[in-house]
Order: sequence, then structure tokens, then C-alpha cells
Amino acid sequence: MKRVLVVDDSLSVARQLEKIISESGDFTCVGHAKNGAEAIKMNHTENPEIICMDMNMPGMDGLTALRTLSVMDKEVKVVMVTSLGGVGDKFTEALKLGAKNVISKPFEADNVLRILREL
Amino acid sequence: MAVKFFGQFLIEQGVVTSEALLNAIDLQDKNNLKLGEMAVTMGLITAADIQRAHNAQMSKDMKLGDLLVEMGFLTLVQLNDVITRQKNTHLYIGEALVQIGALTSDNLQKQLDAFKADQSQYVSDVIELPIASANGKIWEMTADLTYKMVTRVLNLRFRPGKCIIVTSIPHNFMLAAMDFAGDAEARFLLSVSERLQKSIAKAILNEESVDNEPAEILEDTVMEFINVVCGNVAAKASQMGIIMNINPPVTVHPPLGGMPVPEGHKALSFPIHIEDGDTMELILLIKD
Repeated sequence: MKRVLVVDDSLSVARQLEKIISESGDFTCVGHAKNGAEAIKMNHTENPEIICMDMNMPGMDGLTALRTLSVMDKEVKVVMVTSLGGVGDKFTEALKLGAKNVISKPFEADNVLRILREL
Repeated sequence: MAVKFFGQFLIEQGVVTSEALLNAIDLQDKNNLKLGEMAVTMGLITAADIQRAHNAQMSKDMKLGDLLVEMGFLTLVQLNDVITRQKNTHLYIGEALVQIGALTSDNLQKQLDAFKADQSQYVSDVIELPIASANGKIWEMTADLTYKMVTRVLNLRFRPGKCIIVTSIPHNFMLAAMDFAGDAEARFLLSVSERLQKSIAKAILNEESVDNEPAEILEDTVMEFINVVCGNVAAKASQMGIIMNINPPVTVHPPLGGMPVPEGHKALSFPIHIEDGDTMELILLIKD
């Protein structure tokens, strides 16, 4: 099973994503980081294959963390999960920084899993 | 289930890859000249003129085109010619994808139809504001999108009340707030009762009962709901050419007597009467 790290300051979103991931049968959730800085630390300690990360978080935001992760770890695949997915500039910036896809909130479980399975 | 732009829709549907989309965006960037670049290409002004206008923009809140006219670099007729040329030569993302071979013309039309159908649920209806505001269309869209998300995300049936100006923010069980910054500035507040907080939590967590959930999680679900609404408002605004940035949501706890509207702001209240008799309230604190 592929190892997934969830990064979101919202406890309820993290719980939703963890549930979708753990019930999929294909993925296992290795942890939950609440901001970009925690995500970078947990990427080192938990060694996930996939990171599902929010863009808009207090402290280090998702795009800043993505920029760092894309330099530090060429293997990990990052998918942004955000309410700002529909803002064209943010979406493009995320792809340019190396995100594999962007999932807009509100999301549906089928869509999240389809995107994770395509990675 | 959210406001999207066409390129994002195509990737989500698996029609094009992210690499193809980035290539198409590069092509757009090369083709779609900014106003100043187009005026230079048309031989009407020089790069130095643009730089002077950009410098003047530091102290003047004016669009570049208007400033170029005010500074005498362009006549109004020339400015209109430049804008017309920009519009006539604009390369849309779908066309760019066809040009790079990532999409056929036939499939482009098919996908555009599917995209319009997907996004039609987010087309704004008319909402009357009781004040004149430079960004009136944005605030109307904000209220409209909030109503739509109450239906689609929370599955609550409701009737919108008339928008009114209020002078204080009343006390309630919980208020969640997010700030809009950028071209249109405001604070978005959603005021909910304890019962509505639980309804929101059930919908966000997709649970039948939330009676055993800690208060922290229940508050978080309301903040996440407004995060979804405000993110989608920012997306819709960007389609209207308005840049709106959002900060993470916070909770606000007005005292029992309510909280006065901050100086230099107007507060618009949009009551949302829920089917079961409860009412939630969207309040927009708009800078004068």
C-alpha cells in the first residue's frame, strides 16, 4: 500500500482525507501535519510516497512547502487539496512548482482516489 | 463540485496531462501580450514610456492604460485600439491546447460543453445590495455562492432573507471569519447557532451523529465550510478579473450585547432562513 501524508490545518479536512485514504485499500495514511513546516519534517521522518497538502495554512503555507519539498525530495509526489484550486494563478503556480495535480474543495472521495491512483 | 477554470477541469477529467497544460500556458504567455507590450508592438509607445507609467503607478491607484493616457503617452483612441487588438489576438487555453496537439478541435468543443454544464450551477443570480459599492458585483456573487454552497455542501434547504445594513454584529453561539485581501477587501463572517453548527459538522464530516465530537472539531467544521466558500469566491472573482487573496479562517466570539461594526466599514447582513426555523447569517464587513 502506498504511504500518504495529509497536510491541512483543518482537523475536519484531515479527518475526511484520512478516512478516504484508509478505507481505499490501496493507500495507508502515515500521519497528519498541520502546516508546511511540519510537512517537511514529517516527510523526512515518515517517508511518504504521496503528500496531500492544503495551500492556505497558517505559518508555512502549502506553496512554500511545495517549493522546498521539490528541491529536497525528488521522489515524493505532491497533490494540492485546496479551496483555491479554481484560482487559475494558484493552480498554475502549484503545477510549475511540481505538484502532480490539484484537487478543489469541496472534494468527493471518488475524485480524490482516482487522482491518487493515477499518480 | 467547485468553481474551476477550464484547464483544471480538463486535468481533473483526465483529458490532458499537467505537462500539456503547462506547455499550453507557456504558449498563451508568449502569445497574449500585456497592454503595455501590445502598445509597444504596435509602435505607439516605447518600453521606457511603460517604465515611467509603472513608476507613476506606485503613487497612483490607476490602471496602466488610464495612466498612459493621463501621462500623454497614448490617446484614448489609441488605448481602445490596443485593447481591441489584445482581445482579437487573445489565445484561449483550449485553443492553445489544440495548437500544441494535446486536444482536437472536435474534442475541445465537446469538453467546453461539458465544462459549461459542470459550472452552470455557479452562475450568479441577481442579488440586490442596499448600498452602492465599487465591488458590488463581487459581494453579490459572494452571497450567491454562499447560498449555493449551503445547498450543495450542507444539504440544507433555506430561503434567503433581504440583505440589510447593520450597525452591530449580534452575539451568537459561534462566528467563523475569513479576510479577503487584494482588489476587493472585506471580512466574511458566518454566524451560526449551536444546532446549525452540528448540522454543518454532520455534513462536513459525513457522519450521522456528531454528539460525541469535541468542541474543537465542531468549530473546525464551520471554519472549513467558510474556507470552501471563500476559496470558491476567490476563484469566481479571478474569472471576473478581480484578484482576491484569503487568509486562514478564525473564530470570533462577540460579547452578549454584540460587537460594533469597526470604523470605516459597512456591514451587510444576509439572513439565511433554514427550513427547520433556524437562521444563519452571512455578514460582510466591507471597507468604505
